[in-house]
Amino acid sequence: MENFFSKIVELWTTPEYIDSLFHGFLLTIEIAFFAVFLGFLLGLIIALIETGKSKWLNPFKFICRVYVTIIRGTPMALQLFIMFFIIFAIRDFPQIITAVLAFAFNSAAYSSEIIRGGILSVDVGQTEAGMALGLSNFTIFTKIVAPQAIKNIIPALGNEVITVFKETAIVSMVGMYDLNMAAKDIGSGQNMASYVVPMFTAALFYLAVVYLISFVIKQIEKRMRKSDVRV
Amino acid sequence: MSESKKSIRSEISVRKLHKSFGDNKVLNGIDFDLFEGEKVVVLGPSGSGKSTFLRCINRLEEPTSGEISFQDTPIDEKNVREMRAKIGMVFQHFNLISNLTVMENLTLAPVKLKRLDIVEAEKKARKLLRHIGLTEKADSFPASLSGGQKQRVAIIRALMMEPEVLLFDEPTSALDPESIGDVLDLIREVADNGMTIMIVTHEMNFAKEIASRIVFIDKGKIIEENTPDKFFSHPKTPRVQEFLKKVL
Ligand SMILES: Nc1ncnc2c1ncn2[C@@H]1O[C@H](COP(=O)(O)OP(=O)(O)OP(=O)(O)O)[C@@H](O)[C@H]1O
Ligand SMILES: [Mg+2]
Repeated sequence: MENFFSKIVELWTTPEYIDSLFHGFLLTIEIAFFAVFLGFLLGLIIALIETGKSKWLNPFKFICRVYVTIIRGTPMALQLFIMFFIIFAIRDFPQIITAVLAFAFNSAAYSSEIIRGGILSVDVGQTEAGMALGLSNFTIFTKIVAPQAIKNIIPALGNEVITVFKETAIVSMVGMYDLNMAAKDIGSGQNMASYVVPMFTAALFYLAVVYLISFVIKQIEKRMRKSDVRV
Repeated sequence: MSESKKSIRSEISVRKLHKSFGDNKVLNGIDFDLFEGEKVVVLGPSGSGKSTFLRCINRLEEPTSGEISFQDTPIDEKNVREMRAKIGMVFQHFNLISNLTVMENLTLAPVKLKRLDIVEAEKKARKLLRHIGLTEKADSFPASLSGGQKQRVAIIRALMMEPEVLLFDEPTSALDPESIGDVLDLIREVADNGMTIMIVTHEMNFAKEIASRIVFIDKGKIIEENTPDKFFSHPKTPRVQEFLKKVL
């Protein structure tokens, strides 16, 4: 026990360790942030194609279906390997971009399903009311469908953000120095020679961020529910 | 240039309209004209295609074949939005936009389609709201309105666009008996002000009272058409006789 506390003190008083920890943490945050952002945009595009009604969208719908099926049917770690060792096996290509794209492409498939479900859950009567008034598809989507879909989407999308954030830990498998890797490195023989404290510290960092994300999502949900009963 | 014979304008004309959903042939060749100022009540058994007929007119359903014209212009994919703006529709389930306030429901289309600017639109909306006694609901969301209030707002929402024709699909079927009267009063008033109307309803007394013509649809075809007097007192076909025996 005494040893445990002394290890905590050691971790937090050695600038080199603190530095490693925060570098790793920053990389984790960066990858997750950009991956979620890009993944959402791409997912939105896929969802719009899949819920669109024009006939010329049909071939694109097929492509989207195939894409989503492949992504959801294969392990994330393998997708990461394919991005690193096949698609972006380019010397000096920035690793972080490869990682962001790998997670974005993965998240896009899941986000698109969430967004599509949200759009489809909006009562068709709402769309038909807009059509009967002569509104354009664009106005119907932006003023009627999207605002109603968002309410159904936010909770599931929040979960997706959390999932991506935690999954980024597998970038340590391709040698990137993220929070997970930092914990392993700090605990290794050349450094603290004990994994317990650095790994539990990393766990706390992950937990704190997950908690923060859930909190923000709950606040957004609450605010949206308020506008529902506004009289 | 003097025009000697002033014929009544055809607002909507339907020719050889067919509509199938997969193998289900719902409309089987409908020919129909709606003239300016007419109040046509569409009757028929459940599932006969009344709603589908109405929804084909403003292309909420794409006809399988046939032609539909508005004031002698065939409605096609290019002009359909323009036509919809002139053909108002009131739905059985009101379909007020749930994320918009009553005021926003009323002003959205006229403002977006540049019929009115926002100030004019709100002024007009307030006038109509006052008329139906719902001034204080302007900033409420539809969820806080009763069924009857929703439907009356839906009717004035259609009126905001100053349509030339109003289509009603069972406007009182989802209402409790008490609010049916309010909605029927408003429809009657709109009709009396000269609006050209087509209405599907199961309110036989109202049909008798308001209709200038009754159209009976069975299995996707118009099988009988007459003035309300004759339709109710001397139905020609056995099918209509049987129908009237059940509903009257
Ligand atoms: N979107 C749709 N997809 C498939 N079938 C449909 C669709 N809309 C209507 N139908 C079918 O078309 C037929 C006619 O329906 P419609 O709603 O036009 O009848 P209706 O005369 O309005 O009946 P009701 O008095 O019950 O409202 C029914 O068999 C119905 O199942
Ligand atoms: Mg119907």
